[in-house]
Amino acid sequence: MTVTIRTDTVDIELLEIRDFLAANHPFDQLPEDALAELPTMLQVRYFRRDTIISETNSLESYLYLIRTGAVEVFNIENEILARLGEGDVFGYRASHRPNQIEHHCTALEDTLIYQLSAQDVDKLCEHHTQFAYFFSSVVGDRLRDAINQATQVTSSQVNLITTPIRELIQRKPVTISPSASIYETARKMSKERVSSILVCAKGQLAGIVTDRDLRNRVVAEALDVNLPITEIMTFNPSSLKDDTFAFQAQLHMARHNIHHLPITHDDGIAGMVTATDLTKHQTTSVVYMVSDIYKQNKIERMQEVANKIPDLLVNMAVAEASADSVGHLITSITDAITSRLLQLAEERLGPPPVRYVWVAAGSQARNEQTAKSDQDNCMIIDDAYDPRIHADYFRELAKFVCDGLNACGYIYCPGEMMAITDKWRQPLTVWKGYFEKWIDQPEPMSLMLTSVFFDMRRVYGSRNLFREIAEYALEKTRGNRIFLAFMAGNALSHQPPIGFFRNFVLIKGGEHNQTFDVKHNGIVPIVDLARVYSLAAGSKAVNTLDRLDVVAEGGEVTSEGAHDLKDALEFICYLRIQHQARLIKAGEPADNFMSPDHLSHFERNHLKDAFSVVRTMQNTLSQRYKM
Amino acid sequence: MSIWKFLFNLDERRYWYLRKMPAGPLREYYESTFPTPDTDWRQVEYLALDFETTGLDKDKDEILSIGYVPIRGQSLRLGEADHFLSRPVRAIPESSAVIHGIMDDTASSARPLEEALPRLLKSLESRVLVAHHAAVEYEFLSKACKRIYGYPFIAPVVDTLALEVRIFRSMDKPIRSGDLRLDKARVRYNLPRYPAHNALIDAIAAGELFLAQSTYRKRRKRALRLKDMTVIT
Repeated sequence: MTVTIRTDTVDIELLEIRDFLAANHPFDQLPEDALAELPTMLQVRYFRRDTIISETNSLESYLYLIRTGAVEVFNIENEILARLGEGDVFGYRASHRPNQIEHHCTALEDTLIYQLSAQDVDKLCEHHTQFAYFFSSVVGDRLRDAINQATQVTSSQVNLITTPIRELIQRKPVTISPSASIYETARKMSKERVSSILVCAKGQLAGIVTDRDLRNRVVAEALDVNLPITEIMTFNPSSLKDDTFAFQAQLHMARHNIHHLPITHDDGIAGMVTATDLTKHQTTSVVYMVSDIYKQNKIERMQEVANKIPDLLVNMAVAEASADSVGHLITSITDAITSRLLQLAEERLGPPPVRYVWVAAGSQARNEQTAKSDQDNCMIIDDAYDPRIHADYFRELAKFVCDGLNACGYIYCPGEMMAITDKWRQPLTVWKGYFEKWIDQPEPMSLMLTSVFFDMRRVYGSRNLFREIAEYALEKTRGNRIFLAFMAGNALSHQPPIGFFRNFVLIKGGEHNQTFDVKHNGIVPIVDLARVYSLAAGSKAVNTLDRLDVVAEGGEVTSEGAHDLKDALEFICYLRIQHQARLIKAGEPADNFMSPDHLSHFERNHLKDAFSVVRTMQNTLSQRYKM
Repeated sequence: MSIWKFLFNLDERRYWYLRKMPAGPLREYYESTFPTPDTDWRQVEYLALDFETTGLDKDKDEILSIGYVPIRGQSLRLGEADHFLSRPVRAIPESSAVIHGIMDDTASSARPLEEALPRLLKSLESRVLVAHHAAVEYEFLSKACKRIYGYPFIAPVVDTLALEVRIFRSMDKPIRSGDLRLDKARVRYNLPRYPAHNALIDAIAAGELFLAQSTYRKRRKRALRLKDMTVIT
């Protein structure tokens, strides 16, 4: 039988493998045509559980992608560097740290691997920049890149986060000599149509005069306008350098409740930036909110301002503000509400009979608040405090402020760590006793308390009292290895939600089924690590990024380690802000329970990087304190 | 036939056929030497192969598609994998079309087996055939060679199904119905789930299974030889 049939062939179809590659980083960065071709460049290998991967003793010949199974990567000292799971890569150029070279690998489970030759990786890198980026650098750089990629400004709005303040200066500074009279000064302000003027002697800033000064200090006092301007000007006003970022300037103004900010450069005065200049660029401006708070005499009105915080968070999330700046800005509102409440309380109860200081603890102290949170605060009173005479005053004061904060949405702390609790409203000597007991007899409860009260920041009241207690606590802890070991142990109690196989460990069942707690398992571990480093270094820093900066210099942790942790924190916080903003926009209350399903593949991968950094640093800490 | 196999090894039969075989793709195939049974199995090259057919009867049914991937140095070389359709003489029965999804329309634009076969034989040169339940591929291929070239096809063969039976026996585990199916066997080795019934994917699946099984047969003093793996040597 003769059969004559036309002939044809079908292209090799490795769709199944292509789809797997397309779902995994960095291959997801490749364009369609490169992806389609990629499967034909692969080799497939199988490694039985507990066998060594790659007999050649070099992981540098190939890039390995785990299709199924799990792999442990070790360095030359046989220390474990990573546990990898499905979709993870290792080998050629995938190494995580320059000083931690992947040396050998073991299959933890029966493992199927796709391997791509070094030459092919190089070729792909040459042609595809996005793909190449993954291989160009260590985890830290990859995270930094993730942050940059995530915070690229999409709106046309000026981004206060990355804009130096000099770009917001509208005109040359309007200045006048200190020898001018009040009258001459007012004339010049009127002619120049400015609401404030800088008083300069020989090109150097000597003072500032604002419209408000003319009203309050001249007209209201019926002062002679022929007096020199130096009579009413504010001497040595706070100023900032012109390379300061606009958001920092905004923050500075919010904190100090000022509306006119002189800007200097190396040669003297560069100009003036007003709150209005900044608010033009941000509708729900923090400066506006803070100054609004200081104008309020009633708690109900302050409540209205506080209610805008969720909107503010959404705005900042849309503007892709960095988590650090969001933390500072939101906390500055809490600070303003607290300070204003204390002012009102003092107006009502009269001036304090003895010195005191109102201290913020926890996330407020660290300038790391996001959506509104619980209140953590305490009060330290001068040792001249006599409970028989003064107890009522301070109880009333604390009650007024804590109730006010509660009304504004900062709900009572469930652990009662608030100044309203008698225990946390005590004279300096009692506080010193507390710290002494916590530090000398570390037991679980003390450790929990220290992790709250070692994050302290003065919000209102006596600086000296605050300095005394802060220095006392630091003095007690510095070099106290036993206490530090306990703190280190405590710092390991919250683990990043990443499993043995680099998978997310999710909450099972209940209200938060299939999510992870980004606060307790993502942020708290980093905050805890930074606290231990910082205490060991005897540093006063409280903000986590500041702490990491300080300890990186002090050698308590390697500078790369500190740097990586900073990036991990920034990235995790950034995702939390986006998550909370998404909830607020949907009309739901902000929470900390994130589902990996809501993250892009890119975000998931970098979040895993971030969690791996935390885990590595936790391991290092536990080795350092021999636990 | 069975006496033949019993009396003569593969190479002897290969020489026997070569004595009078005319020039052509099958002769070229027989002119390359088979890997010898005593070779360390790791030094040998393999070709994981799968056919989709119109049915399981080698005398009646036809090959519809061919997929294969070489294995060298214990790794599947996807870059050298190939997949092509072959046009059947008869209409494709519905009962098989629902399995492999190859319809008459698709198949009618394919080459006839005569044109597809040389390519496959070339890839099989000096290699060991690997398949799951290899009798199907082996017999269909032999039948096709007899029809087209007048001589049967022989090759050293690794049957992953037979290996699986040996592994079960060596562990004294009872074999239940379905245990030996390709997808079931793969699950035991933590291999990914692939969609079945595409000749290339099934060939890759069988190749991967072979790599997995081989790692489970390593626990001996002496290195494994090819004859420890094969069903036909």
